[in-house]
Amino acid sequence: MTVIKTEGLSKYFGKKKALEDLNLEVPEGIIFGYLGPNGAGKTTTIRLLLNLARPTSGTAYVLGEDIRNGRSYLKKVGFLPDVPNFYNFFTAREFLSFIADISGIDNPEKKIGKILELIGLKNEKGRIGGYSRGMRQRLGLAQALLPDPELLILDEPTSSLDPQGRKEILDLICSFKGKKTVFFSTHILSDVERICDRIGILKEGRLLIEDNIEDIKKRYTRHRILIEVDDTEKLIEKVNGLSQIKSIERRNNNGLVLEVSDILPVQIDIPKIIVEENLILKKWEILEPSLEDIFLEVTNK
Amino acid sequence: MIKLMKKEFYEFVKTKKLIAIIAIFIFFAISSPIMAKIMPEFIKTISIGITIIVPPPTWKDAFLQFFKNLNQMIFLILVLIFIGSIAEEKNRRTASLVVTRGVDRRVWVLSKFTFQLLLTISLSLISFFICYYYSVILFPDTEFFPSFSSLLLFLVYITFVISLTILSSSAGNNIIQAGGIFILVFIVLNILNIFPSLKPYNPVNLSSMETQWIVFGVDWNSAVKTVISSLILSIASLVCGMLYFNYQELE
Repeated sequence: MTVIKTEGLSKYFGKKKALEDLNLEVPEGIIFGYLGPNGAGKTTTIRLLLNLARPTSGTAYVLGEDIRNGRSYLKKVGFLPDVPNFYNFFTAREFLSFIADISGIDNPEKKIGKILELIGLKNEKGRIGGYSRGMRQRLGLAQALLPDPELLILDEPTSSLDPQGRKEILDLICSFKGKKTVFFSTHILSDVERICDRIGILKEGRLLIEDNIEDIKKRYTRHRILIEVDDTEKLIEKVNGLSQIKSIERRNNNGLVLEVSDILPVQIDIPKIIVEENLILKKWEILEPSLEDIFLEVTNK
Repeated sequence: MIKLMKKEFYEFVKTKKLIAIIAIFIFFAISSPIMAKIMPEFIKTISIGITIIVPPPTWKDAFLQFFKNLNQMIFLILVLIFIGSIAEEKNRRTASLVVTRGVDRRVWVLSKFTFQLLLTISLSLISFFICYYYSVILFPDTEFFPSFSSLLLFLVYITFVISLTILSSSAGNNIIQAGGIFILVFIVLNILNIFPSLKPYNPVNLSSMETQWIVFGVDWNSAVKTVISSLILSIASLVCGMLYFNYQELE
């Protein structure tokens, strides 16, 4: 089942294009990372999916319901905004009781206690007005999870957390894999690489790429080898003659990064050269592209 | 809707708004008859060397003072408290948090209106009976019917005012915008009041009727058009506020 499907979804603010012709599919049970530089249209997409804004053209189907025809699907969606704001006069427990009330959850006390423990706010007795941004983000996640939604839409869920808090929250999100669908917008590429199954990269309102992380990596793989030897000049002189070599880049004192057209013959020929020339091999590494490399490559095109 | 109203009540209790409103209503309820009683004596004591003839105070003075306070001070305080009820929630993005939980936006607006109206009506009635009680003590000939009839006019008037704050708050994105819209509509209504043909249909006319009924006696026939048009305009303002918020894009 497709949990989110957008068809030519566009949003303009006057003449300013915020989102253009977005066609996206998020299957059930996966963690979808929605990436893009500032102002790319990530939050606009989320606002449209949550019916906080209306599309200029196109539409989206969330949990099978056309967003233009109603809002009943929102009962099955949990949302964490990028800057969570709450009623400051409530304590965390009181606020979650209110959320339980309006979400129609019966006898929520036990569930509230469990969720507060899960997100590390069990011992917070003070009013929300005195919470730090990180604590607000945790509470935001708690209120999103409370009604046990089928779809979680998280806008920058770890942006205000310290490394320990980030790890805890990412582990928690990761535990939903296969149970809930998570639509996860962020700037933090390492978070995406760690937990997401599928990603979409957005720039200036247009979706540039959407696929599984592994397939994207395969697509963007450039065959590169990092070699460290005691005499790099000699190695450069010898490998320059190989037909598969596309470029040679120096790295540090003894390092070379070779970009090659076909990696298999090179993996045989270069070790042969090293042996024949009596060079000392210090490091041999086949370089995989990181998500950051791909992100920069895609968004800088 | 009851759950949403419960939150409104809780907010008023926690932020001490409730205790402030109760205190103000009770203060004016008690002070109005007392001020009416002591004011002539007070004027005499400060006018040394000048002969001022002040007619003896009556229960009418007590209720004229009471309705003056309701229409000025309490009106202003209620508008200041209620005007941000929707606009500030939009501005702080707490409105988005509630509506993305699947709460019907129209019901959310209606819950705010209902809570504010019930609170105001309850406090107005309590305040009236306190004022009546002190008036009877200070002026034994106090009449219930004209003063209570004037209160009914005030309740119609304040219903219109609250529905207008809801519409203004729904249309404005923050308290300043909402306040601006409210003031603008109020100025227009006051300007329209100078046209004799429109006056009977203008809700702002109700506040002057309240005092007229205290002084000259109750005349329901003269108020029918104003009461009906005020109630129609109240419903129209409320419905417009609900529809506007339902259609509005939120942050």
